Amino acid sequence: MSKKQAETEKEWQTRLLDAVLPHVLFDGWSRKAMKAAAADLGEDVSTLDLAFPDGAVDMIRLFIENADDAMEAELQKRDVLSLKIRDRITLAIKVRLELYEPHKEAVRRAVNILALPQNAALALKLTANTVSRMWWATGDSSADYNWYTKRLTLAGVYGATLLYWLADKSEGHHKTWEFLGRRIENVMQIETAKFKCRERLKQKPDFSHMPSAKRFWRNLTER
Amino acid sequence: MPDKLLNNEKPAFGRQPGDLSPREQLERIIRVDHAGEFGAVRIYEGQLAVLKETEAADTLQHMKEQEEVHRKKFEELLRDRRVRPTLLSPLWHVAGFALGAGTAMLGKEAAMACTEAVEEVIDEHYRDQLDTLGEDEPELKETISKFRDEEIEHRDTAREEGASQAPGYELLSSAVKAGSKMAIWLSSRI
Repeated sequence: MSKKQAETEKEWQTRLLDAVLPHVLFDGWSRKAMKAAAADLGEDVSTLDLAFPDGAVDMIRLFIENADDAMEAELQKRDVLSLKIRDRITLAIKVRLELYEPHKEAVRRAVNILALPQNAALALKLTANTVSRMWWATGDSSADYNWYTKRLTLAGVYGATLLYWLADKSEGHHKTWEFLGRRIENVMQIETAKFKCRERLKQKPDFSHMPSAKRFWRNLTER
Repeated sequence: MPDKLLNNEKPAFGRQPGDLSPREQLERIIRVDHAGEFGAVRIYEGQLAVLKETEAADTLQHMKEQEEVHRKKFEELLRDRRVRPTLLSPLWHVAGFALGAGTAMLGKEAAMACTEAVEEVIDEHYRDQLDTLGEDEPELKETISKFRDEEIEHRDTAREEGASQAPGYELLSSAVKAGSKMAIWLSSRI
């Protein structure tokens, strides 16, 4: 299946990836799955090699990038900007995992591969990209270091939720959504603590409870 | 050798292999411009903190307000074009204020010399960007050239207010220029 005329590179690769995905369930992101997909399409495996020169890593990269696109489209469809900020992020993670649901096994195996040390840089890049797009899609407009802290925080929440979701066998993943709710609650606690801290620092320090020679003398002489 | 090269101008060869991609180019431009306007606001804030009781306050206030408009515009661009802001903003927050307040303490003339030097570098920097952008991004180009005009205005105001009478004018001016250029180099990348 060579590239069609009007097709972009990405569309062509996605078409091949769709053929590989059903086999990932059994064979993992492997050469075996690529061969099986090639057989399904009546193609030589070299076509897939051409599309994914680095094999598994290239397929996973495309898989995740496509999921990013789909997530953003879905968020826009659900009118995410009409929600409160904390609900926006909850929805973004939820939409993401719902999109992953038909390919849960593939996602699990992708996480395994991305956890390998030689793929650490790619894993970091893909995660950074995903959380960035979550913030952009939900209308974030920070322009200072908050841009970075927001992404770090969300990477923590998203990563934890993804791992929990992979191990979650409950009906409709309701345990994952509860877990996600608790994690977002944790983040809000940090934000509240930061706010309180800032408010308190604005006030003048009060030393009235500290021992003071001056006060001691005053008390001594005025009585 | 063509005159252009002798005059130390950029040769107009267009994009070469190994140059940044248009997207990377755009990201750098918006990132560094936002950082620059952010720093400029902090410089004027620092100057105002020292000179708020003098007759220069009105001029400074006016320039600061213009810079705030610029910063806001670039914040919008960061969001709309999905560009990562510079990681160094906490540094520029402090360094900008320190530069403004520090020069203002040397007197009104020194503050104006600082403004003149910074705006001169910015003018050059915006002109470079207008060159690199070429025919792409007409909207962004329009914004930059409008802001550039206002920065030139600031530079001229600073000259009228007696920038060249500052103590150690040559030294101060070249130090501020070198600092601004380094800040530009860093902010476009980090």
